[in-house]
Amino acid sequence: MNTDGENTGTNRNRVIVTRDLKKTYHDNGAPVEAIRGIDFTLTEGEFTAIIGPSGSGKTTFLNLVAGLDSPTEGEVELSGKLISTMNGKELSNYRRDNIGFIFQAYNLFPVLTVGENIEYIMLLQGIHKRERHERVMEILQQVELQYYADRLPSKLSGGQQQRVAVARAMVSRPKLIIADEPTANLDSKTSGDLLDMMKRLNEETGMTFLFSTHDEIVMKRARKVVTIRDGLLFKTAESTL
Amino acid sequence: MFARLILISWRNVIRNKRRTMITGIAIGVGLAAMMFSDALFTGMSILMVETTTDTWMGHAQIHREGFLETARISYTIEDPARIQSMLEADSLVVASTGRLISPASLQSPLEMKPVTLLGVNSITDYKVSMLKNATDTGSYLSGDSMEVIIGFKLAEDMNLALGDVAVITAATADSGFSARLFRVSGICKFGSDQYDRYTVFVNIASAGSLLGLTGEFHEIAIRFSDPATAMDPALPFWSTFSVNGNTVEGWPVLAPQISSMIDMANVSLGIQAAILFGLVLFGIINSLFMSVYERMYEFGVMKAVGTSKRAVVTMVLLEAFWLGVAGSVTGALIGLGVIEYFASAGICFGEVDFSGIMFDKPIFTIAEWSRIWIYPVSILLFTTLAGIYPGIHAGNLNPSEAMRKSL
Repeated sequence: MNTDGENTGTNRNRVIVTRDLKKTYHDNGAPVEAIRGIDFTLTEGEFTAIIGPSGSGKTTFLNLVAGLDSPTEGEVELSGKLISTMNGKELSNYRRDNIGFIFQAYNLFPVLTVGENIEYIMLLQGIHKRERHERVMEILQQVELQYYADRLPSKLSGGQQQRVAVARAMVSRPKLIIADEPTANLDSKTSGDLLDMMKRLNEETGMTFLFSTHDEIVMKRARKVVTIRDGLLFKTAESTL
Repeated sequence: MFARLILISWRNVIRNKRRTMITGIAIGVGLAAMMFSDALFTGMSILMVETTTDTWMGHAQIHREGFLETARISYTIEDPARIQSMLEADSLVVASTGRLISPASLQSPLEMKPVTLLGVNSITDYKVSMLKNATDTGSYLSGDSMEVIIGFKLAEDMNLALGDVAVITAATADSGFSARLFRVSGICKFGSDQYDRYTVFVNIASAGSLLGLTGEFHEIAIRFSDPATAMDPALPFWSTFSVNGNTVEGWPVLAPQISSMIDMANVSLGIQAAILFGLVLFGIINSLFMSVYERMYEFGVMKAVGTSKRAVVTMVLLEAFWLGVAGSVTGALIGLGVIEYFASAGICFGEVDFSGIMFDKPIFTIAEWSRIWIYPVSILLFTTLAGIYPGIHAGNLNPSEAMRKSL
């Protein structure tokens, strides 16, 4: 069990706190310990990467802290609220209002245009049409896709789609953006550009970013790099950048 | 949000055009078959009722109570003149005719046969029965006291031709016997043995004179302006004429075998519809499940970003609804086209003698709008309901599992 990450949250609000977090899957009846007891703290405004080899438990950890999956043992606290005390609907609403997701394979809704994809979460939140439109146009400018609002995702390149995914994750102004291997399907130039953009948005908006990766480009740009190995938090390194 | 779900569901449905088209056509063909069956059944029912009522029966008949069960000659209708004038004044009735009916024997110089003697009013009977049209050789009754019309089979059996004489003998109302000489004035062809082999038709005055029942009727046959009148037992008509020992009954009571057959066809149509709707239900569930499994990751993402279970279920229901719309529109168009074609072309099933009535005309499909619309609407409803199970399945997906499963 490691507690390296806990020292960083003294002066700022804690967005995520995990305590002795464990997750065991059953693969054909055989138990697989994906997460074996992680204590971790993420504070507001951080730009943190979780790295580790394939199968180390990165995605499982992200799913647990995002409330997409429930732990076998231990607890997850999101902005002071314990996930285990929330029912399905509360958790769903919590994710909607507080967490933005960026997935490995972009995962835009293929039948919605770029603008509609970005607007979707605000629609769930019940935000008024005019405000939705203004925010969509604003975020599209920030991700430099202002002329692509009416296009379907299939008409965009991989990098453009991932920028739309970033815009969708950020437009509802969540406290935390969780990105699971956001550059996995991108070339190095596009990956670098995307990370620069995310970092810029992190600095401009103060939103907290937590992403998993084994991409060198991402690691270099992260302010803090947390290493997971065999389901345990192995090491935390802070960048001076 | 609902408006957006409508849009998303529609786009999801047209996303896999081939599957949507195949599903829509499958629903449509089933629906078209159902609509066609209904229209064919409606056409067949109407033809059966028309043939039954037009041949001889009329839409309703008045008798003295007990006459139909006993065929007693003395059981004549009470106060027939008043009843006739009441019928003439009744707006539901377009025609009525009085008749005398008795068992009798017909004797030619060579043969003697038992027959049913029917005394008819030549002026009013053709408005209710097809006797005039069925008389294809010689002439229809003119009022001459000696004329008799016999069926072509009876004529063959007794070796009688036009102009030949024959004697009709019958029991009289006062328990005696009476015989009269008649001359064959017409030979008729109804297409059924009951009328072509075992019945003779004479003027009612002659029959009255033979039976000792002048001015009396055993039966008054009635034709309504709307044949459906006979199927409405709540009408005051029935109680108005079922008084003073008389009774009035519509064709469903007089020809129970026909109404039973229609009821039976109704039940079989219902069973057919239930099977079809069941098949559609499972077909749509299968199609929607395939669609849900294909989009597992998408549902995972939807749930992850905070889409409620209700919204996911609603979206799948709407997708089912759109499939239903596609199937209903396709089916309605195909069904109405086929119905329209056979409404003019007709379908010939050959000659069938059922319960003394010859059914030999082609059946024309008839779309009865009061019920034909039920099929596309029901299909739409069933198809939408078929979305409940896959919808709940999608709504209950755990986001992380859904995203993992589809990877």
